[in-house]
Order: sequence, then structure tokens, then C-alpha cells
Amino acid sequence: MKRRDLFLGLTGLPGCTRDTRPRLNVYNWSAYVAPETIPGFEAEFGVRVRYATYESNEELLAKVLSGNSGWDVVFPTHNRIGPMREYGLLAPLNHSWLPGLDNLDARFRAPEWDTGLLWGVPYMWNGTGIVYHRKIKPAPSRWADLWNGRLKGRLTMLDDPEDMLGACLKKIGYSFSATDPGELRAAEREAVAQKPLLRAYLNAEVRDQLVSGDVLAAQLWSTTAQQAIAAAPDLAFAYPAEGFPFYCDCAVILRESRRARLAHQFLDYLLRPRVSAQIVEATKTATANRAAQDLLPESVRTNPVLYPPDAIFGRGEWPRTLPPATQRLRDRIWTEIKSA
Amino acid sequence: MKLRRWFLFPAWLWMALLFFAPFVIVLAYSFLTRGPYGGVWGPWTLENYQRLFDPLYLTILMRSFAMAAAATALCLLFAFPAALFIVRATRHRNLYLQLVMLPFWTSFLVRTYAWMFLLRDTGLINTALEAAGIIHDPLPLLYNNGAVLLGLVYGYLPFMVLPIYATLERLDPSLMEAAADLGARPMAAILRVIVPLAKPGILAGSVLVFIPCLGAYLTPDLLGGGRTVLVGNLVQNQFTGARDWPFGSAVSITLMALVTVLLWVLLRRESEPLV
Repeated sequence: MKRRDLFLGLTGLPGCTRDTRPRLNVYNWSAYVAPETIPGFEAEFGVRVRYATYESNEELLAKVLSGNSGWDVVFPTHNRIGPMREYGLLAPLNHSWLPGLDNLDARFRAPEWDTGLLWGVPYMWNGTGIVYHRKIKPAPSRWADLWNGRLKGRLTMLDDPEDMLGACLKKIGYSFSATDPGELRAAEREAVAQKPLLRAYLNAEVRDQLVSGDVLAAQLWSTTAQQAIAAAPDLAFAYPAEGFPFYCDCAVILRESRRARLAHQFLDYLLRPRVSAQIVEATKTATANRAAQDLLPESVRTNPVLYPPDAIFGRGEWPRTLPPATQRLRDRIWTEIKSA
Repeated sequence: MKLRRWFLFPAWLWMALLFFAPFVIVLAYSFLTRGPYGGVWGPWTLENYQRLFDPLYLTILMRSFAMAAAATALCLLFAFPAALFIVRATRHRNLYLQLVMLPFWTSFLVRTYAWMFLLRDTGLINTALEAAGIIHDPLPLLYNNGAVLLGLVYGYLPFMVLPIYATLERLDPSLMEAAADLGARPMAAILRVIVPLAKPGILAGSVLVFIPCLGAYLTPDLLGGGRTVLVGNLVQNQFTGARDWPFGSAVSITLMALVTVLLWVLLRRESEPLV
């Protein structure tokens, strides 16, 4: 074969494999679908899905703020929906295309951040509490128990200003979403007082140190805590008595999307009990889908870490979107705590 | 001669696209205002730079300079004898050089995680010391400034060894003999003859270590456990958690400006070129 022929042949190759199926672009948290979720949607609807993952709301916001990110469906946490809507980034949901909304748990039919479910479909949720080693007596049940000198050096708090300051606010009886500078400064004093007891400010990476026993108590998200507990049965989880936050990640459609119908089909596909149950089994998270829960084994459905009973659920608080001045004060306080 | 002009073209293109353009964007951002929920908005302002004079941020900047200076000094302390040893080795010189560069075969992140496994309570060092009966409770090796310093020195040591080695290698071995003939003890000969002659290498190594240490954020974050804030962490937090890109940009630009001034002063004082 002449070399020229070879090159001509090669240039033709992409043309042969060119996929003409419509493409949906989905940007989701890492480890948030089952392995069969995306291929199942592609096969059933005859489409392609470009799927990528992110690790934080900030990463997501940085991408979509431009309004030209190339994504159709993304999964912000509930208190990011307000700002995204204000920035004109979201497309309203068309409920007639989402019959699966009926599958949602009653707790998520009219959530306080989006009472009409106009902008986002609640997907997965979790809370923040205390994971601890059972050998600690008495077992921690309140945030205040994390200020106990006996835990010195074996205690971690989340490396997350919202959660860390939130726990301090709750400890002294204020709201997780406090905006009053006096209340925030009081919470800062609590944080600074606690800092000498802390081993570190760690997020999910504390999981291994809990399992190995280096850390005896940690402020942690319930889903991450559940992973640690599954690996080390000596660990337990408490939703603190003073109150604690819940977070719900919601599927939203970006206004820039030119495939609104397909995006709705994807959202409705995720709402199917079978699909949602598969995701829960693969990711060990808590779904907002009631019909899916009914397909799960009893042990998962009644897991008190992932699905706290109503009495505990009622103590939870859904953190609200904070006004810009408060965000800035909180960031300053956070830097002061870290720098103290 | 025509062709020669094009030799620099790829480098120029690279610098223009991947260094100069981002730099201009960051510079522009640093004079803008943060939007209500992040993002970069008008109007133009100097406020981001004014904020830097806050004692809170000045302390962080000072702390970072101190940490970078300490790491550079320690690197020099370890690197100079090591470089001298390698230069004077009669055999296996290449092997030693390869050993210095060996860490680069693995990603810096992986190596930092390896340090976490060594230093933690149930890590290798504490377990070994406990097994030997030397300690009864694990030493708090991880998540403090010492661990951060260790990580920085470990990470940037090769950048100090190699330039010093390069200058020492060019020195005439008979200089030591001459010094000895004139009555200098070996230590005096090293301090008064070799060290002054190795100054360009020492300076180059110090610059190569100091600058990345100043902006380090991974090591303080992973080995420091988020208990201290260095300027690198401050910048990172402004771009992520705080979503205040203008202020983060202003901190970055200020850091770059300080480093540039520092280098300029150094280079002006040194008539000899670096490296």
C-alpha cells in the first residue's frame, strides 16, 4: 500500500465511527450512579451520554457559571439552587414530562428550598453528625461532646467552613444558617477553643483513620460515616441532639441545554424505582425516592445512619443560601480559625 | 540564519498561551469584584489589594515566608554535604545522582500520601518504635508544622542537590589540595574555599526550593491536616470554598510580585549569573 493511501484511509476512519445519536451531557458527583445506570439509559433511548464527575459544588459552579459549559444535567446541593436560579442558569422543570415525581418520599415532595419542585428533582441526601468509636463512654450524642478534653488528639472536624462553623453555631443554640455577626463570632470562639483538641480538619480521608483507630471521634457526613461503619463495626454514628444539617443533591437542567426533552427523560429515568434502587445499592447513599426504598433490603431501608427515623429527622435543618455579606464574614472567620 | 529565528517559536507560543494569557486574566480578575455567589463582576476596584494589608493575611504571608525559608535552609544543610559527597565519589557517581532523582519517578501526591502512612499513629514509624519498646503512646508526628516542614524538605531536596552538584563538579579538585598545602584543615578548606565558589549553585538551588515552597498548598493541606494556613492554601480556598476569585487573584499577583522583587534584588547583588 502506498503511504498516501494509508493516510487517506486513516483520515476517513473518524467518519466511519461518527456517532449520530443525540448526546446528553451529564455532570454528576463522583460515585453517584450505578455502573449500569448510564448504559441502561443509552440503550433504552438510543442516545449517547457524556458523563463526567466532580468533587465539590464549587467545582460545578465554576464550570456552569459561564452559562456555556456544555452540560445539560447537573446535581447541585439544595442551597446552591437559589443562586443558580438567580443567575439564570436553570431551566424550569416540566412536570408533565416527569411522571416519576410521584415516587418521591413525602419528605421531598415540597422541600423548603423549592416547594413546588420547579427547578430540581431531589436525588440523594445526607446529614452531618458524629461518627465515634464505641469504646468512648459515654457515647457522644451532642456536638458539645466534641469539646471534651479526653478526646484530645483523637478528634477531627470537617475541613468545610459551612459544616464546621455550623456545628459550633448549633452547640451554642444558634441556627446553622446564622447571619448575625455576633452569633458567628461566638461560634468562632467555640471553634478556636476546640482547635487544641483537634488532630486535624479532615473530610472523607478521615474514614481510613477511623477504621484503623487513629481517630476516635469525627464530625462526618452520614454516607461517608456509613462506609466507615461498614468497614469497622466498632464505629457508630449519632445525629447530635442540638440539631444538625441535611443536604440534598438535586438533579437540575441547565438553561443552556438544547435537549430539554431528553434531559427530562433522563431525570424521569433516574426517578424509576428500579434504577434508583440499583444506584442506592451501588453507592450506599440515601435516596429521596420512596418507591426505590421499597425495593431495597430491610437492612438498608431501616439503616438509622442513612435513613434516620422521623423523630431524628425532625431535628435536622436544611442549610439556607447565605447572603453575600455573611459568606464573606464566614470566610474571614474560617481563615482566622485555621490561622489561629 | 532565517531558520534559527524559528527555533524559539514553540517556546514563545507555549509561554504566550499558557503563561502570559492566564497571567493577564488573573491580573484582570484581581481588580474586579466578587459576584453575590461567586463569579467575577464589575466594577473595577483596588479593594482586593487593600484587604491584603489586614493583619490576618499579613500573618499568613509572613508564616509562609518563614516556612519556605526554613525549608530552604534545611534543604541546603542536607544538600550541600550530599552534593560534595557525590562529586568526590570515585565510583558509582552516576548511581548516586540517579538516587537523588529517583523520587521523581512517582507522583508528588502519591509520595505525600506515603508520608502520611509513615507518620500516622498506626503508621510504620510509630508501630516500629512501639514494638521496640521505646515509646508507649504513639508520637504525634502527623498534622503539625513539623510534618509540613518535613514534607517540603523531602519534596524539594533534589532541586537543591542538583544545582550545587553542577557547580561543584566544575571546580578544580586541586583547589582543596592547594588549600591543604597552605595549611587549611579540611573543614576550613570547605567553608572558606569550596562554599564561596559554590555560591552560584547554592543560590540557584535556594531559588528553586524557596519559590515552590512559598506557594505550596498540597503539603500543608495533607501533612498539616488543615490546621495551619499558608498562602497557597489561602489562594486555593479563595478559588474553591470562598469562591472569591478576585481576592484569590490579588493574593496570587502579590505573591508573584514579592517573589519577583526578591529575585531581582538577589540577581542584582550577584554579578555572576544563576546556574
